[in-house]
Amino acid sequence: MSLKNFNWKKYTNYLVVGGVMLIFGLLSLVGVSDASITSLLERISIAAILAVSLSMVVGFLGELSLGHAGFMCVGAYLGGKVAALLEPSLGNGPLNFFIALLVGSLAAALFGVIVGLPALRLRGDYLAIVTLAFGEIVRSVVMNLPAKLFGGTLGLSTPRMDKKYLFIMGFLLLLACLAVTQNLIKSKHGRAIISIRDNEIAARATGIDVTKYKLFVFTISSFFAGVAGVLYSFSMYTVQSANFDYNYSIEILVMVVLGGMGSINGSLIAAALITFLNIQLQTMLTGDLAVLQNLFYAVILILIVIYRNAPGLKGFREKYNMRTISEKLFKKKKTVVENADAGEEEATNE
Amino acid sequence: MNFIAAIINGLSSGGTYAIIALGYTMVYGIAKMLNFAHGDIIMMGGYAMYIALSLAGHPILALVAGIVFCVLLGVAIERYAYKPLRGAAPLAVLITAIGMSYLLQSLAQIIFGSAPKMLVKLQVPGFFMIGSLRVDYSTLITLIVTVVVMTALTVFIKKSKPGRAMVAVSEDRDAALLMGINTNAIIAITFAIGSALAAVAGYLMLMKAPSLSNTLGAMPGIKAFTAAVIGGIGSIPGAMVGGILLGVVESFSYSIPALAPFTEAVEFSILIVVLLVKPSGILGKMRREKV
Amino acid sequence: MKKILSIVLAVVMVAGCCVALSSCSYKDTINIGVSGPLTGDAAVYGQAVANAAQLAVDEINAQGGLNGIEFRLIATDDQADAAKVETNYNKMMRKGMQVSLGCVTTGACLEFKNLSKADDLFFLTPSASGDSVPEFSNGYQMCFADSNQGGVAALYVQSLLAAGLLTNGLKIEEVGVFYKSDDAYSKGIYDKFIEMMPGIPEANRVAFTGTNSDFTAQIDALKGCKFIFMPIYYTPASQFMVQAKDKIDAKAIYYGCDGFDGIESAEGFDITSIPQEVSMLSHYNSKATEGKAKEFADKYEAKYGKDTLNQFGASAYDCVWAIYGAMKKAVAEGKTVNNETTVADMCAILKEQFNGEYTYSGATGTNIKWADTGYVAKVADYIQIKAAN
Repeated sequence: MSLKNFNWKKYTNYLVVGGVMLIFGLLSLVGVSDASITSLLERISIAAILAVSLSMVVGFLGELSLGHAGFMCVGAYLGGKVAALLEPSLGNGPLNFFIALLVGSLAAALFGVIVGLPALRLRGDYLAIVTLAFGEIVRSVVMNLPAKLFGGTLGLSTPRMDKKYLFIMGFLLLLACLAVTQNLIKSKHGRAIISIRDNEIAARATGIDVTKYKLFVFTISSFFAGVAGVLYSFSMYTVQSANFDYNYSIEILVMVVLGGMGSINGSLIAAALITFLNIQLQTMLTGDLAVLQNLFYAVILILIVIYRNAPGLKGFREKYNMRTISEKLFKKKKTVVENADAGEEEATNE
Repeated sequence: MNFIAAIINGLSSGGTYAIIALGYTMVYGIAKMLNFAHGDIIMMGGYAMYIALSLAGHPILALVAGIVFCVLLGVAIERYAYKPLRGAAPLAVLITAIGMSYLLQSLAQIIFGSAPKMLVKLQVPGFFMIGSLRVDYSTLITLIVTVVVMTALTVFIKKSKPGRAMVAVSEDRDAALLMGINTNAIIAITFAIGSALAAVAGYLMLMKAPSLSNTLGAMPGIKAFTAAVIGGIGSIPGAMVGGILLGVVESFSYSIPALAPFTEAVEFSILIVVLLVKPSGILGKMRREKV
Repeated sequence: MKKILSIVLAVVMVAGCCVALSSCSYKDTINIGVSGPLTGDAAVYGQAVANAAQLAVDEINAQGGLNGIEFRLIATDDQADAAKVETNYNKMMRKGMQVSLGCVTTGACLEFKNLSKADDLFFLTPSASGDSVPEFSNGYQMCFADSNQGGVAALYVQSLLAAGLLTNGLKIEEVGVFYKSDDAYSKGIYDKFIEMMPGIPEANRVAFTGTNSDFTAQIDALKGCKFIFMPIYYTPASQFMVQAKDKIDAKAIYYGCDGFDGIESAEGFDITSIPQEVSMLSHYNSKATEGKAKEFADKYEAKYGKDTLNQFGASAYDCVWAIYGAMKKAVAEGKTVNNETTVADMCAILKEQFNGEYTYSGATGTNIKWADTGYVAKVADYIQIKAAN
């Protein structure tokens, strides 16, 4: 492909993510960067991987998973355990990280198959219930197993990678996650997946193997949740299962919904924004008022979903959406192909 | 002896789960949605009882206040959060319900704080003996209330006009509408009944364990919801069977020391096993979707 | 559209990093950092620590500080969540933390001990009681380690069994344990207690998890017991007692650890309505009527009210004064301790004191000493909160 015909616009989000990684990577390597910046960036990369992978299930497949943190927990504990066992011989460098990554993410994917198999055969909200149950089971089991296995209530001690490099790993994995997700969505398989979301019966009628596709997407999504888990375990000295509770799954869901279901870029931005807000709010609200944060999430969740989905608000939505507002702001006089389904920026490559 | 004691405890907590599960299953059957916020309606009802107790001081008044408040709250939530989404994708409704559950929990914590309130006035002291077996009055009351609620609900649905309209709406909402049934009213009535049951369940829970916090309904809600799915979501006898089964399993798991810490894992594993063996739940019917 | 999105993304990330950097360090004071749950479910403990430490800092400053150099407390909120500790740690280091109280809760402190080891930062934790908290040479505890509490409690119960001190003569089959299996504090004490008391029947070792507050099944399992050891915090303990009022022998004894402190003032809980005896093993008694413990309670109550007055606060108050005392002794011995002392130098100076002859007397004990393992050596009292009716 000659450079002239290369469509840069298709790769904007890779460029932004890669650019941020390079700038801060260089800063960090020459020692200008600060520990809190690198830790913020690594948190953002973990959250973004989680949000983008959940967005595949919720936004493109149209199923709800409430156990994303559970799959992350599997990745963090199994990957972390392998890394801890290998630490004496391999240290906490990239080699150990990649072995742990392989183990943790594959284990999470395997659990994805086990959980998805019974739930995805059924229509409706079963996946939500089963994943919720799965998240609780995982948390309860790792915490109560003998301390020799997974550290019990004190959590599992895991090797921690040098913070100067970990966020670079995080961003590389985020790029990989973006590449897999976006290429999948753009492929013919992606169209099949979206057709399942829009009308399962019609999709089935055209010969699409609905269960196979559902399981495929769900497994990939669990795989990346496992990746995020391994990253998390390398960012901490101890992995504690209390972190992977139902509330964390909801937080990831909020990122996906806030970013606009079915928009990868949206999930990316929302993940960065919410992670940043969480860290900033950590010391700003005191006492029971700290719940204001949860209240805020809840209200956002309800308002956004009603606004974007209520049949009664269709006219309002068409009059005031992001696209028309931004057009007015930038005084563009372009005719944009109106796509009925909100959130599919991919369709309108200006 | 411990075996029988465990069964009685299980029946009693299972009865409470069953009453909560009825709320889930009725709403699912008629509005075709999982009302995630159902457990938190229990909690809000608990706070209504707390206020009523500190104002009036009588448990029965507290129960009435709890039921009235829950019915109003349930109907209001349905009217303002779920009704606008009727006809939208099921996923959207589900996420709204999760948001609502979160909203209620955080509101309660902001208003009442996170320290638990003790509603000791709701406790029923005393017990009687059957042979060497000790049965608390509170357990007996729970069992009686469970049976009464289930019978009344079954009779209501089989015999009364709105009850039969409910069955019609759950079978086919559009056809019911054509037959002159006001489906919106029926859905509102379903939410009202479900929420009233939630208040009753909340009362039973607080009678046994009188400590009230903003997470009171969260775990029992999720468990009852699991029970509803185990029994077959949408089926009223299924909710009863699922609830009782879950309660008995929980009680047994607690009474075995090695298993006690894993109780929650055991309970949720039943769900996965049941869905693997019989995907529609114990008493559920499998429905094929048609165009 | 995409362009706008990507610009927003970039702006968010860059802005995030800039704001993260924008806080200055305190150069004119000796800075003590602490990270604890100022919000969330465990907020009452974190607030007690932050308040009491501030109280001690204010008192020290009122006395003229350390040779005229004032102290400053930097308190950050971790909501008892280990994942939030690193952010706090970085923030406190940027603000110039020289010495620390570590974290309030064990889980968070396990993260803190590793972070502080890399910088060689001295910490003396008021309440993170996990056995492995002072694993590295820079970590010390003011509270008893969990296994220590479990061991002392077991010794006490053994003495009861041996002497037949109870009216009817207590048998080991009548000793029960009620613990929270997913809590590090409770599980830590429980494990040591059972290790030393293997004779306690399996059926009497009863657990609960999570936010569960319906203890019907657990009470049923323990109903034959005359002595119930409860290494848990007072909220679930009070719930247990209310539900067990007429189900467990009225002559039974509920015996807790320092987590019981404050149970008599739990909201809505009327301890006089409980027929059984309630007592605890603790280094601090918030109902003390004399001595340093009483002085602390009065001062704390006057400033912050009694809602958050508990042993966590007393312990934090002692931590600050103990650190101050060690610094003062070091200065008297010719060392230099001031606002410019580096983290590592401060650690070396304080370690020398804490591992040496230094002793401290305060609200949570007299002649407190530390082993070079970081564990505290002081006397725990048997405190009867309420006698049997």
